[in-house]
Amino acid sequence: MILEVCGITKTFSLGLEKVEALRGIDLALTQGEFVTVIGSNGAGKSTLLNVIAGTCRPSRGRVRIAGRDVTRWPAHRRARWIGRVFQDPLRGTAAHMTLAENLALALRKGPRGLGLALSHARRRLLAEALAPLDMGLEGRLNERVAHLSGGERQAVTVLMATLSRPMLLLLDEHTAALDPANADKVLEITERLVKENGITTLMVTHRMDQALRTGSRLIMMHKGRVQLDLRGERKQGFTVDDLVGLFRKVGVTDDELLLGQQPLKEATA
Amino acid sequence: MTLFLHAVEQGLIYGLMALGVYVSFRVLAFPDLSVDGTFPLGAAVAAALIIGGWDPFLASLVALGAGMVAGAFTGILATKFRIQGLLAGVLTMIMLYSLNLRIMGRPNLPLLGRPSALTAAMQALHLPPSWGLVLVAACLALGCKLLLDLFFHTELGTAMRATGNNPDMVQALGINPETMVILGLALSNGLVALAGALVAQYSGFADVGMGVGTIVAGLASVIVGEMLLRPRTVLWATAAALLGSCLYRGAILVALRYGGALGFTASDLKLLTALVVLGALVAPAIRARLRGEEA
Repeated sequence: MILEVCGITKTFSLGLEKVEALRGIDLALTQGEFVTVIGSNGAGKSTLLNVIAGTCRPSRGRVRIAGRDVTRWPAHRRARWIGRVFQDPLRGTAAHMTLAENLALALRKGPRGLGLALSHARRRLLAEALAPLDMGLEGRLNERVAHLSGGERQAVTVLMATLSRPMLLLLDEHTAALDPANADKVLEITERLVKENGITTLMVTHRMDQALRTGSRLIMMHKGRVQLDLRGERKQGFTVDDLVGLFRKVGVTDDELLLGQQPLKEATA
Repeated sequence: MTLFLHAVEQGLIYGLMALGVYVSFRVLAFPDLSVDGTFPLGAAVAAALIIGGWDPFLASLVALGAGMVAGAFTGILATKFRIQGLLAGVLTMIMLYSLNLRIMGRPNLPLLGRPSALTAAMQALHLPPSWGLVLVAACLALGCKLLLDLFFHTELGTAMRATGNNPDMVQALGINPETMVILGLALSNGLVALAGALVAQYSGFADVGMGVGTIVAGLASVIVGEMLLRPRTVLWATAAALLGSCLYRGAILVALRYGGALGFTASDLKLLTALVVLGALVAPAIRARLRGEEA
């Protein structure tokens, strides 16, 4: 097992109110699985990813990566095995540094030494890694990342998250803030890099069609629990209408579903 | 001409302090007030050791080390104990005030007639007193600048720069942002303390009050340099800090010499410096509002 999540609960205190974001999650991912996660707002998808990444400590339960219990490990230590892409394209790169410097930081995980960050050999390596993105970025290595568009920055972030070939890739609605064309492009890049490197992946998405089309397994979350776990042929046979029906059954209103399908930008506007 | 030489001389020596402030304020985006304590700490350590018969070069190096320890202390307060950055710096600064008095034994230590690292270097190289000191100061400041440039292009240095820019990303890439802040503040305050040690030897005394306003003077240097050079790379940014420092010291020397005619006294300097920094900090917001953008 690459990832094992056992009996995870997470309760946030908001003043006197207690919010149960996760109410007992059990999940196991085998090598090479590509799992998509859907759920209405507040289902606990992002909290689950944060618990796995280590930026959020669970109230109860254990997280194991490749058999090792990492529940008490800080996020930066787990990051050696985990690649992460956030929804906001600005969060994945350092805007004031050059494209080459950003990528060089992602070549190797863990503590850094006093070797030069960029050599000629490394520049060539990075240009070669950028070329397949087909965005012309290999010629812009010395440009500051701030000059890149949102789609370009997110594509670079996906590349950075996979460059060191981590065991696990966590994607938190990483195409939701992009326009449809860029969202498709970034998803296509993601699928190719995941496949090439054989990385086990957990992808949260708002779009049911995307969740059904992508990956080998689909999980539906609702109110802090896993409601549905679809694999293989069963997943292939499922339609968006089937999913909507299931959401209705667990008490999600059409309004919440509609809201859930919008990119977050519009939903919060 | 002598005024110009003195401005460059002092600007370069104080420039090490400006480089230190650049590291904390710009690279780490950490407004570190401990420099008001580490600048006199460097002076106190070096002065006490030189009076105790130490070699001035060795004494200056020990001062640098003392500054690094103090900087790391602020970093630990801010990260491991989650004390707000500004408060962590103020706490270190106040602790150092008492500590500096203990190191010196009294509020002021004169160093007249004692060996100085700067003059010793000048004599060792057989340089004439007229411009020898400027050359020594220039070699020292440029050497520190180049070492800093080099460091910020290593894996560790780029990780440190990314930490000030985007701590989330740094953490996701397997780097501990807390370690970067502690190391960065150690580096910054080491430079500031070294500047303090050299200023004490240059001006012939160490004084417990000589650190007041160090952060503002450092910020003024960094900001003035940036306004002139508009740096886009580390190499230019460190050059800007040194240039800003020279201009700032020049402005002070001019104000001290000719300010009297305009009714200024030396005690007005801190007010004027703070106004320069204030102006530079509010200028972007005012410009944005004039353009009709929301603040």
